[in-house]
Amino acid sequence: MSSPERDRPAHTVRGVDHAAFPTFDPQATITFYRDVLGFPVVHATCALGWGPGDHPDFIHFFFDIGNGDRLAFFYYFGVAPYRDAGLPDLLHRARHLAIHVDGEEDLLEYRHRLDASAWPCELQVRHETVESIYVTDPNGYLMEITRPLRAITAEDDIDANVSVDALMEVAGEPEPSLEKFYARKAKLIAERYEGEPELVTFG
Amino acid sequence: MTTLFVLDVDDFRPLAEVAAKDPDTTVRRRGPYLEVSAPGAIRVERDATGRRNALWYSSVAAVRDGRVSRWDKSELVVVPTGTGR
Repeated sequence: MSSPERDRPAHTVRGVDHAAFPTFDPQATITFYRDVLGFPVVHATCALGWGPGDHPDFIHFFFDIGNGDRLAFFYYFGVAPYRDAGLPDLLHRARHLAIHVDGEEDLLEYRHRLDASAWPCELQVRHETVESIYVTDPNGYLMEITRPLRAITAEDDIDANVSVDALMEVAGEPEPSLEKFYARKAKLIAERYEGEPELVTFG
Repeated sequence: MTTLFVLDVDDFRPLAEVAAKDPDTTVRRRGPYLEVSAPGAIRVERDATGRRNALWYSSVAAVRDGRVSRWDKSELVVVPTGTGR
């Protein structure tokens, strides 16, 4: 039983167990993830009559995406394919799974695998701290493979926390804007690091 | 004073270095941030910073008493609040 007095470790989650998505094309999905990308199949649950009345029979299958994490799909027998035909591009791009690789060589290897397939890499871009390749999988889901360009520092984490605190405040007010966010963040910085700042000169 | 904050990491420090070349501009350290201040506008030329696209467009941490009036592929301009360019 939990109680407020009990000492709790602050943060004990350990990454992604699995992320699951529906598929209406299991052949293309297995070809893409297993045969093109080389993600091993590690588990499959075959359920006869287990699901709700309108889709009682399904297969839930899993691919290893490294680190013990898994990407899973549901295939429902006898269900008409559904696709978000009217999905705005903004949502298509925002909803995505990013899979980590350690270095450039790994990133390029996966790019080569995609480019040699029916699903070539659509975009390769160097972001702020990562470099990524993007592809839309056979189900229409945007997938990213990404490598770090540099280590994330303590300063980055502090800045991220100031940013989300400023966002929490600004997003709760009328007509939030980036301009208001910058101003609120400046106010938080001034409050948290008050006092006479040290002059900096560049050599 | 128009004030622009950039995080003091290798990716963003060049913005403060370039802004500091203007004699009216001062740079101070406030926690993990570089606080770039000037009585008027702060102008930073992208080419001088050598920042690639993603870094350039994520380089502003915060702005006090000013607003970004231009931020395109070649220049970042922060003007005092209530003024035009």
